[in-house]
Amino acid sequence: MQKRIKGEKGKSKKGPGLFSVLKPYKGIVTVLIIMALLGSSINLLIPKIIAGGIDAFTSGNFEIRGIITKFLLAATGIFIFTFLQNIIQTLTAEKVAKELRYKLAEKISRQTYTYILKSNPSKILTNLTSDMDSVKMFVSMAFVNIISSLFVIIGAAALLISINWRLALAVLVIVPVIGTAFFIVLRKVRVIFRKSREVIDSLNKIINESILGSALIRVLNSQQPESQKFLEKNIVSRDLGLTIVRLFSVLVPTIMFVSNLAVVIILALGGHYVVNGTLSLGNFAAFNSYLIMLIFPIMMIGFMSNIIASATASYGRIKLVLDQPDPVDTGSIHSDIQGNIVMRNIGLTYGDKPVLQGISLDIKAGSKTAIIGPTAAGKSQLLYLLTNLIPPDEGSIEIDGVSIEKYAKEVFHRHIGFVFQDSVVFNVSLRENIAFSENVTEESLKKAIETAELSDFIETLPDKLDTMVSERGTSLSGGQKQRIMLARALALDPKILLLDDFTSRVDRQTENKILCNIQANYPDLTLLSISQKIAPIRHFDQIILLMKGEVVATGKHKELLDSSPEYNQIYSSQRSTQHYEL
Amino acid sequence: MNYNLNQAPEKVNGKRSVFASLRKLYGIISGERRNLNRAFLAIFINAGLNLMGPYLVGYTIDTHIQVKNYHGVLLFAGILLAMYVTAYFVNHAQMRMMGGIGQRMLFGLRNSVFNKLQELPLAFFNQNKAGDLISRINNDTDRVNQFFSQSLMQFIGSLITMTGAGIILLILNLPLGLAALSPALFLFIFTRLISPWIRRKNEASLKSLGNLSAEIQESLSNFRVVVTFNRRDYFRKRFQVANQENYRQSVRAGIANNMLTPIYTFAANVGQLIVLSLGIYLIIKGKFTVGLLISFIAYIMNFYNPLRQMAGLWASFQMALAAWDRISHLLSFESNLAYMDDPKDIKSDSYIHFNNVSFSYPDGKEVLHKVSFDLQRGKTYAFVGPTGGGKTTTASLIARLYDATTGTILLDGKDIRSYSACERASRIGLILQDPLLFSGTIRDNILYGNPECSGLNTHQLEKELENAKLLPLLEQFDQGLDTPVMLGDDGISLGQKQLIAFIRAILRKPDLLILDEATANIDTVTEQHLEEILTNLPGSTTRVIIAHRLNTIENADEIFFVNSGEIIAAGSFKEALDLLMHGRIES
Repeated sequence: MQKRIKGEKGKSKKGPGLFSVLKPYKGIVTVLIIMALLGSSINLLIPKIIAGGIDAFTSGNFEIRGIITKFLLAATGIFIFTFLQNIIQTLTAEKVAKELRYKLAEKISRQTYTYILKSNPSKILTNLTSDMDSVKMFVSMAFVNIISSLFVIIGAAALLISINWRLALAVLVIVPVIGTAFFIVLRKVRVIFRKSREVIDSLNKIINESILGSALIRVLNSQQPESQKFLEKNIVSRDLGLTIVRLFSVLVPTIMFVSNLAVVIILALGGHYVVNGTLSLGNFAAFNSYLIMLIFPIMMIGFMSNIIASATASYGRIKLVLDQPDPVDTGSIHSDIQGNIVMRNIGLTYGDKPVLQGISLDIKAGSKTAIIGPTAAGKSQLLYLLTNLIPPDEGSIEIDGVSIEKYAKEVFHRHIGFVFQDSVVFNVSLRENIAFSENVTEESLKKAIETAELSDFIETLPDKLDTMVSERGTSLSGGQKQRIMLARALALDPKILLLDDFTSRVDRQTENKILCNIQANYPDLTLLSISQKIAPIRHFDQIILLMKGEVVATGKHKELLDSSPEYNQIYSSQRSTQHYEL
Repeated sequence: MNYNLNQAPEKVNGKRSVFASLRKLYGIISGERRNLNRAFLAIFINAGLNLMGPYLVGYTIDTHIQVKNYHGVLLFAGILLAMYVTAYFVNHAQMRMMGGIGQRMLFGLRNSVFNKLQELPLAFFNQNKAGDLISRINNDTDRVNQFFSQSLMQFIGSLITMTGAGIILLILNLPLGLAALSPALFLFIFTRLISPWIRRKNEASLKSLGNLSAEIQESLSNFRVVVTFNRRDYFRKRFQVANQENYRQSVRAGIANNMLTPIYTFAANVGQLIVLSLGIYLIIKGKFTVGLLISFIAYIMNFYNPLRQMAGLWASFQMALAAWDRISHLLSFESNLAYMDDPKDIKSDSYIHFNNVSFSYPDGKEVLHKVSFDLQRGKTYAFVGPTGGGKTTTASLIARLYDATTGTILLDGKDIRSYSACERASRIGLILQDPLLFSGTIRDNILYGNPECSGLNTHQLEKELENAKLLPLLEQFDQGLDTPVMLGDDGISLGQKQLIAFIRAILRKPDLLILDEATANIDTVTEQHLEEILTNLPGSTTRVIIAHRLNTIENADEIFFVNSGEIIAAGSFKEALDLLMHGRIES
């Protein structure tokens, strides 16, 4: 008893949910339904015309021309309505899918970076493709077909009753029987559909890792374990599919059997009525025709139930994302940024692990600051906080005395250029990759390319700046990608430049040139650079030593040499090559 | 070798034959042959039983109702009932079998495609988009499955019912039957003509779906740049373009798919009209009876209804064919890294010997030009040079991620192509520039692809790590071996990932270890530990270090300068430095 109530509650929550997809299209859907109903009504008339013909014949006044005219009119009418209906149906279904997809994509584009990480990009991909397909199939096939099927069933039932109500009732008892069968099976199936979507998410993820890790897999010759991973999930998917098959292989034959039962009833009972004269032969034929007409939509609803179950599960998943509240944008300040950065007591935890603790920094505009420290000291995270990519758990960050959240987003990101540690390039032209931010002028673009020492490289390309970059940047070397990222950041003409271990992929000569260029072309820039090497940052205004998430020492190079043993350790690990550095 | 999936495949004979596609598909499910036969038998019986129904009704009308023999009516009603009960079980069996076949086929297809991906070389992945590949493996296979598990059954059932009804019609009354079936002939011709068009539209639609997937996949992977450059609109705009294109193609495909049904319905109605008018004419002439006419009408509906159903299914069939084409295109690719059976025995003492090797990437640019050099066992080599000069390419060639365009590469005296992938992978270790970790724990990752060590328990594993001096490195991770890792996760830093990749490579005990800027993001203090670990490797291990950091390459036995397609042996460290500082820049 308890279970059924829960199930019904669940149904009422999700049922209208799925149908609400069609609400904005009320007008066109109504037209569609009207057309379908018109087509079906005319279809219903055909057996009547035939019955009329047979009866007219048996009673001796058969007029062939009239019958042919009526028939052809009906057939043409059906043709036109069905044709139009199909076209409108297709358009509507695709429109619904297109707009729902866009809504979902838009919603996702407004989320925070942390949300995207947490909600798993593979699942989002499934949402936008497979789940959308289910909903689309619901609109294009299920919805109108169900309504017109229901109409035909009701119409045929009415006509049957009008011919001989006793026989009709005996036949129509099959309808509630079928309805109950549907209800029971559908409830079970819906859960399974949801599970199988989740398995598709996992399959997506494995395929994605296989593609991203294609080089590694070939180096290690680990194709076998990858195939094994895929196989396991694939087995789960198959078994879920088989369960659904089993359920439907009981449902559909049951429905067909019950429908066929009606034929037997008509033969036995109807035959009785014809024998004792209360039913004409023509009407008996009509009864048979209507029954066949009745069975077809019933089976249609049967097949559609599969689609409905699948679409309901999919729509549930989509709704979860759509109902996600938008992150509130509190920024409204539009003033230009100078570049004074102050961090007060910043703390950041990842899960239950503290990544940064008690960080306080003071960076003056136009100065050059370096952050140095061992692996996993929290250096990258510090820069992420500065760009507001992730929010701090404690403390505050102020730029020019104003908390960074108070700045309007466009202003904020226009003034801060970030170069990530690992390269991110897009499958567009070089020009679009570098001029990625909006409002990049031709001059800023040129200046940025020269500063990043990319001009020579671009000259060697046949299409120069219009050369397409392949997905994941597979046609570029590590150093080239890093410099493109730098140019991208510089093209903003930023006030603050954040470099995360920038020159790790670039050779010494290029590295020196670039740093000189930055000094020359962007003199007022506030530079914050994470570096492993001391040599290039030796003359910076401030060096911050970060270890295990805490600031261990700050100062100029010489001061740190005198005061910090950890700094000395780093220095000596690089010292043998020091005299080769500039 | 052109591995780009979105470029048209070479068509062997002008038009792709439906039967050729079907034959290939049948190859995949050949294991199901017995089940298929059983299922077909069930469908046949089921259709047969359903066909007998109207005949029995007609017969009963003529022989019992018209003569008012009610007892006979009841008898036949009983027979009918028994028939339908049998039909229930047969129908159930049929659905279960076909559904099972469909699921297993989907399972097999997905595996085939995924495994094919594993077989193909790196060049394939450079030329195709991730989202498109995912779409082929998940969506396109599902389209084939949908047809198989749902539509095919109805298709065959309809076909049988239709054929049976047609035959009965012709038997009952040949001239009337022929007249009633004539619209079907027209339909057949029409369908034949229009099918290739329907298939093309479906293909275009599937392709646009693949593009849409690719777009989504890329933007999500690059989301942090999108955010930090405040270009959320970039994602939206690109998505909308792909979305709009997908809409266009899908509408076209949808209209094409729905072309047939209204026309078939019209033909069906015309057929009924023919039966009615001609039938009554025949009755007047005394060549036909009313009972037969009623049967006839029922059979005509049993002919045209399934035919109409088939019209709808035919479109589904075209879509499945289009999807299957996309899949088989992928399946038709072969790896261009062939296994060489009979290598010429060239005498060579060195462990690696490059003999006049030239290499160009598929897009044409030549990266290495007639390069020759030797790597001896046990020595440490450094490859330096400006970015883009060819260092990573050289490393990729040694690890046989690609084959040289011309020239030979020898591994331990034999052509590298004569080694099995397994043996080559166990001898040559390459730590890539971008460390790749899979979801799991650190232990999973350091043991990844290492069949020898995968059976070790924690104690044994720690002993191995200790022997290689790797154990102290694990202290950088708060849960040691059990620290969880996720692809794309920011929970551990890039430097830490490089450490894990390093440990993974060392544990494999390769004969030749190449580090391609593998420690670039690791701090110099930790790097000194790594130096010790490298020195601790067995003396016979050859080390190749590609790096920008001078202190990393300081202790190399020999230094090679890689630039502009050439590899020059730089004599001493100072000479190498000179070349680096003042040499020609390629990049």
